[in-house]
Formats: sequence, C-alpha cells, structure tokens
Amino acid sequence: MTERSKANPILGYSDTETVKLDFDNMSFKSVKYWASRIGRWFKLRGFIVLKSSNNRYHVVFDREVSWSLNVKIMGWACLQSKHKGLTGYFILQCIKQGSTLRISPKKDKLCPRPVYYYGKQDGQIRSFLEYRHMLREFVRKLKTSPKPQPHNKEGR
Amino acid sequence: MVKKIAVYGSYEAKVPVRQRFWKRRRDGILQRYWKRTSRKKTAEMKGRYEFHGKGKDLYKAVVKAHHLMPKGFVDISAEKFLENPEKYGLEGEWIDREVES
Repeated sequence: MTERSKANPILGYSDTETVKLDFDNMSFKSVKYWASRIGRWFKLRGFIVLKSSNNRYHVVFDREVSWSLNVKIMGWACLQSKHKGLTGYFILQCIKQGSTLRISPKKDKLCPRPVYYYGKQDGQIRSFLEYRHMLREFVRKLKTSPKPQPHNKEGR
Repeated sequence: MVKKIAVYGSYEAKVPVRQRFWKRRRDGILQRYWKRTSRKKTAEMKGRYEFHGKGKDLYKAVVKAHHLMPKGFVDISAEKFLENPEKYGLEGEWIDREVES
C-alpha cells in the first residue's frame, strides 16, 4: 500500500454557537492564562483545554453564544494575545462563517485529548464531547472495518 | 443550533481539461471561449464537506466522503448527500498535505 492511499480526510466538529480557539506554539501555562482571561471577561462559564500535539492546544468554552458574539470574542482574543497562529485561525473561521476544531488524527498527530477542565461543563462542552466521542467511534469503525469498495455510480 | 461534522483536506482528482478557442463575433470582436474536452488531468485541490443530521446518516456520509472528494465547500445534510452523492463529489484520492481547519 502506498503512502498516498493511506491518507484519510480530517474529521472535525463545526458550529457557530461554541467559542473555540486554536493556540499553536504556545505553552500550556499561557493557554490556561488566556483561556481563563477570555472566560472571565466574556462570562463564558467554563472551558476545556485539549492537547493537539506538542505545544499546540485547543480551547472550547461552555456558554452558547451568537455567531456575532463568537466573532467578537475570537477577535478580542487575537487582539489581546497578539498571537499570529490564532489570528490566522480567526480569519479562516470568519471566511467560513463557522468555527471548526479537529477531532480525528492527522498525519503524525494524535486526536486532541482533554488535559484541563475549568468551571461548568454542561453546556456546549458537553455537546462537543458527545460529538467527539461519536467521531472517534467513526474513526475506530473505519479502521477496523474491511476497506470499502470504491464508489460505484450505480450503487451496486 | 446546528452542529456539523467537517470532513476536509487536500486531494487529487481527475478533472476534465478545458481547451480555449477563439471565435469572431458578429460585431467583429474576436471572443475567447472555453470548451470541456474528454481528456482528464490530475489536479491537486482542497475541499470540505460539512454534514449535519442523524448519527447513522452521518456515519454513512463520512464513509462515502472517503471516496468522493468534495467539489469545493459542500454544506449539506447527510441524508440529502446520501441520496445523490455524485452531485456533490468527484472521484479521487485524499492526500496528506497540511491544511487549516
């Protein structure tokens, strides 16, 4: 099997109501600081930090917000932290009009896994974790099931 | 309130080659036109599906998405996608290439 045929698409969770941030090349301590600062400033109830790979973290907040407030929060975070990676992420989410975080493994990276919980977890974090569980099940099933036949137009 | 599953990445697909030709219009201007030939070329592209719907449909859609590459940005319910997947995707292969979420 060639390297190319092993490649799979990336699976992620996407919505407009959950505030999600992607901190690349930042220490865990700084991520915790920025997450708690943003959470306090916008009263986002609680947050969860997921480790994506070495020095790369994802943050998901618990409160449900509108898309306009979501953009405001992400923009504020970019402005305050002056983080280049986060600004790139923010611009891309604005173009797509919805924010996405990766859930499946990617190339040499594992699935992002929770490393820190803070505050309430029964809102958006709960639904994020449910979807995460479902998607990981999909990935597991796809790995274990025999390789499906290439797509056939007649559906046979 | 819609939670979606994003399936995204870079892929290689066979796309029809376009050929240009020139035709003189009635007003004398030479106009350029494009036509689709039957020849195919391999092109590297990026694409993205965003599926929403029930769990079983989502799983089936994700399995289909492994073989059918998205034509650009496809935001659709999993049920509708499964009814006519060729409409939203083309055959190809996913490749390992850095892509933003």
